[in-house]
Amino acid sequence: MKRFGRPLAILLVLLLSLSMVLAGCSNSEQSEQPAPPADQGQDDGEQAAADTPKEKVKLDFWSFWGSVTRRPIIEKMISDFNGSQDSIEVKYTFVPWGDIWTKNLAAIAAGNPPDAIINDINTVAHRANQKQNTNLTPYLAKESENIQDRFFPQLWEAVLFNGEAYGLPFNTDTRLLFWNKEHFAEVGLDPESPPQSWAELEEYAKKLDKVENGKYTRIGFYPLWGVGADIWMLNSDGKNFIDEDGNVYVNTPEKIQALEWIVNWRNRLGDKTVNAFQAEFGSQQADPFISGKVSMMVQNMNFYTQLRDYGKDVKYGVTLVPEREEGTGHWSWGGGFAVEIPYGAKHPEESYQFIKYLTDVDAQSYWAKWGLDMVANKNAANDPELQSIDVYKVAVEAMDKTLITPTPVFAPDFIGLLNPQIDAAVLGKASVQDALKKAQSDIENLVKSNKK
Amino acid sequence: MNRKTSSIRQREEIQGYIFILPWLIGFVVFVLGPLLFSLYGSFTNYNVTSRMDFIGFDNYKRMFTGDPLFWTSLYNTFYYVIFMVPLTTAGSILMAVLLNQRVSGTRVYRTIYYMPSVLSGVAVYMLWMQILSPETGLLNTLLRLIGVEGPAWLFDPAWTKPAIIIMKMWSVGGGMLLYLASMQGIPTQLYESADLDGANAWHKFRYITLPMITPVIFFDLVTSLIGGFQIFQEGYVMSQSGDGGPMNSLLFYNLHMWNKAFEVFDMGYAMAMAWILFVIVMILTALNLKYSKNWVYYEGGDNR
Repeated sequence: MKRFGRPLAILLVLLLSLSMVLAGCSNSEQSEQPAPPADQGQDDGEQAAADTPKEKVKLDFWSFWGSVTRRPIIEKMISDFNGSQDSIEVKYTFVPWGDIWTKNLAAIAAGNPPDAIINDINTVAHRANQKQNTNLTPYLAKESENIQDRFFPQLWEAVLFNGEAYGLPFNTDTRLLFWNKEHFAEVGLDPESPPQSWAELEEYAKKLDKVENGKYTRIGFYPLWGVGADIWMLNSDGKNFIDEDGNVYVNTPEKIQALEWIVNWRNRLGDKTVNAFQAEFGSQQADPFISGKVSMMVQNMNFYTQLRDYGKDVKYGVTLVPEREEGTGHWSWGGGFAVEIPYGAKHPEESYQFIKYLTDVDAQSYWAKWGLDMVANKNAANDPELQSIDVYKVAVEAMDKTLITPTPVFAPDFIGLLNPQIDAAVLGKASVQDALKKAQSDIENLVKSNKK
Repeated sequence: MNRKTSSIRQREEIQGYIFILPWLIGFVVFVLGPLLFSLYGSFTNYNVTSRMDFIGFDNYKRMFTGDPLFWTSLYNTFYYVIFMVPLTTAGSILMAVLLNQRVSGTRVYRTIYYMPSVLSGVAVYMLWMQILSPETGLLNTLLRLIGVEGPAWLFDPAWTKPAIIIMKMWSVGGGMLLYLASMQGIPTQLYESADLDGANAWHKFRYITLPMITPVIFFDLVTSLIGGFQIFQEGYVMSQSGDGGPMNSLLFYNLHMWNKAFEVFDMGYAMAMAWILFVIVMILTALNLKYSKNWVYYEGGDNR
């Protein structure tokens, strides 16, 4: 019997610790909390004794912005808020990216969440569905101004669950086409007129390709550098993969066309060329666009800061993502973050005052100027100082046709069913039609099983 | 007389329990409690924050009939275990045999080969992602030297799992140490008498070394089987944005479970998945134990 003991014990300990991780992570969470309520009580006592008319409410604000560039900005915004009034004091807590969502979840389950948190804008409704954040409707109703008018409309849509807001949009981004003007001039294209449609993009790209001794030394454009295939599928018709009601739009003629277009592109250049180029991609000076290995690239708008810092000699222009055909729309895609009040936060009224301040013009334009991020507040984004930056101006223009892809409540993990099929099609392991047909039916099944 | 011994016995028994009490409390609070909780949770739609309604076998039904990724993840995990376990076991034995030779500098070699087992975590994965890079990576550069064009490893769905298995082979040093210790314990008389009988090196390995280290092989087999089923980080770290790699080829069972638990908040479903894995591993281990009688040799006799 003894010899059976050891492996079995190890088996038990290992496997059970697994279920412990799943079930019991709230245990460790509580001890790490600095226990604000206790502090609060003490302060109350002291302040009452000192006969202060108003007692300050202390709020704990979580975000993952801890870098040398971001942290001072957010801390300055908080200290401005703390200085602007004398009833609320916000403390900033930096929680690393890898931890913040699970810690927040555990803290909510333990009934001791932070008072406000920066969270993914795409999952606000998904969390609302699980009662992880606070409905803001009662607070918004008390306002004289209409808070929703502050924001780009699609961002506001993203924070709604059953028509009610559960967070306020904070920032976002959008994809733009960057093109190298010198390369354009070199091959006889007008450096000031970038491609407008997919056909033009392809035509220009072929002219910009450079082949020496049968080997590509420069590639005009490749659609999957900078963004994924899914972005082109969204660009094709400006429609999300799943709508609010759970209808699935994956296997549509436009999206099939988009994926076929990409597959053709890969076939034309060849796997080897694509992989060989891709392997040498780096960041900063080694960025393919900055080093001139690629002439046009769809990139996040904040690629601008890389160009500013590392590509001083690159003469580039920036414009909207080309449309599928004339009139289909220069659709782009953006992500972003919202600021919300976790469910069960102790001072929702004060938390609301704080997140309202964070999304107001002053705080937002401060954030935009220092981080060159697209902010959710329209007036802040249209600040003349920001508009003088070419990229920012184009980006604000692109916001009109920038899709946000909120996680559908009915199929929060549909992307795990879609991506492998897209991979299969792009890698040539399945035909585009078959791949998207399979993805469509898989996702429909998922929606069906979650809708019950 | 009789009563006295029994009272001593009782006292010792109580003392014994007091001594193991810390472990007992820890076991009940941190292991048994969560375990039973997760068993119950697997029959609910628990989402950590707001829901915990009993839904019967729904989670299990959905797992087997309505979740294609469940099967993908199970396949990936089995694929990994089936190749990883025998390969690393054979690898560590081979390494141990080589390093058991009496040549100068064995200590240095042992240290070198054990070193990778000391390193762990994400840093190693990052290192391997560079080694496996298709164009500029060390592995493909070496293959090119002998005229072989290596695959795109982590970017080609057919090669992602082999790539990870190769990576695991790098750290066979841990198992090697166990085998080495066990080989050092084999009485030299056995080899001497084999020499007198005219046995060659292979015979000595096959009929002396191998049977003598079977208990360690058994131990290694069981633990690495269990460890193999728990693979998670490799899929999470070594695929872009942690989504399970090209065509979900690195979507391992635990990664899928993690996604269900912390991305979808379908904790009940994730708990049910944990239990299915538990059952699978239990069955495999029981089979292992059952058949071990046929090949594991204990020098002290069968009743140990």
